[in-house]
Amino acid sequence: MSTETMLFVPLLILIGGLFHIMPGLTRPDLFFAVTVAPEFRRSSAARRILGRYRAIVWIATLIASGLALAAGMAVAAVLLQAIGYLWGLVSANRAVRAYAAAPSSVLEVDLATPQERLPGGLLVAALPVLSLVALGLWVGFHWDRLPRRFPVHWGIDGADRWVNTTPATVFGFLAVQAFVCLLLAGLAWGLLNWSRRISTTGAGAAAERHFRRRIVQLSIVCEYFLACPAWFALFQPAAAAMNAWGLALAAAIVAFTVSLMRGGQGGSNATVTAGTAPVGDHTPDACWKWGLVYVNPADPSILVEKRFGIGYTLNFGNRWTWVVLALLLVAPAAGLILLR
Amino acid sequence: MIILRVDLKSPAPVYRQIVDAVRILLVNGDLSPGDALPPVRRLALDLGVHFNTVAEAYRTLEEEGWLEIGRRSGARVVSRTVENRCDPQTGEAFERRLREMVAEVQARGLPRDRIARELRLLAKTLERS
Repeated sequence: MSTETMLFVPLLILIGGLFHIMPGLTRPDLFFAVTVAPEFRRSSAARRILGRYRAIVWIATLIASGLALAAGMAVAAVLLQAIGYLWGLVSANRAVRAYAAAPSSVLEVDLATPQERLPGGLLVAALPVLSLVALGLWVGFHWDRLPRRFPVHWGIDGADRWVNTTPATVFGFLAVQAFVCLLLAGLAWGLLNWSRRISTTGAGAAAERHFRRRIVQLSIVCEYFLACPAWFALFQPAAAAMNAWGLALAAAIVAFTVSLMRGGQGGSNATVTAGTAPVGDHTPDACWKWGLVYVNPADPSILVEKRFGIGYTLNFGNRWTWVVLALLLVAPAAGLILLR
Repeated sequence: MIILRVDLKSPAPVYRQIVDAVRILLVNGDLSPGDALPPVRRLALDLGVHFNTVAEAYRTLEEEGWLEIGRRSGARVVSRTVENRCDPQTGEAFERRLREMVAEVQARGLPRDRIARELRLLAKTLERS
């Protein structure tokens, strides 16, 4: 059995475990992306739907692991697990719709809520991009100090793809890195300025603010980490530095993810009182396709809380979302063209 | 906390509900001159309504003399002086609207004693202010 397979199968099982706990992470008055009464989760119908979803997820995970172990078909295994997850989710979503509750139509906004700002201000979010611009300027003045070839991709065993040092590859690589950093900074800014706040009053609002701040911090931390490969590529430090970078990035993502999961989606754990009208997330059930894709042209938000899982998703009914998506495609496309 | 409440199922348009709710906050003194209101974009995002809905509400309040809308500073409450004049048309319109509203909620099943209690409460608030 290869090292990759030995690492891959536990990874599939870990992902299966995440799919297993995902229904418990959503807001208490949302179940499989459908607005329900908060006490519905404890009903026998809910338990039956949950059990069926989990059975589908684990059967798919076991078959995927078998495929990876027996035939080494990693891509097929990932696809199979994803299909199992989607099938389980969509069928559970359909089953829960029969128990959907009318969400409260009353919206409350605290007019005194202060505007949320980027932690440390705009400069902290812009610093990784500025550092790459500075690196680009340095490279322009010290071209003779660059190695003849530099790595542009790294695997578990270190650099696995190299290109010749030319102005197109060097500046193209720096531009792609800067663009990725810019996108992460943009995501952090967008979460604070273009996302829907579900609660603006009481304990729910404080928990939600904390949750949003954690995701913003995660975006900025990832931005700092993702600015590093450009420096590694051109200055080629010892392999230990690269390994430490990889471990630190993984540790940061795990720490933030665990923290977010503990609070629940939108920091909503235990903020809904049983017996009250469900608040949900103030988005209509009808605008959620298969519980995953949000399409609401009447909603000005670009980012809304996911109904299943942790974090935010895009409102595909907003035309600016398509501009963001087009930009997201530019970076990989430019990378492929410039770093051929 | 200064709470703005909007009911999406109410027959009154959201723009009108925002205007009415903010006006109540202003009349009651919950919002004072100098206080800033949330930017149009922020309030529209939180309510899930079009930017124009909130912008229209702010414009109406500006026309009534409650707000000052600056390009950079956003919407800010300004001090507003009202002459204590006795305009017969305003008085008649008020009386008519009040009677219509009482009849409407009575027709929708709100008990008489509850309506009377609310009116007394309102009268007391007015006398105190």
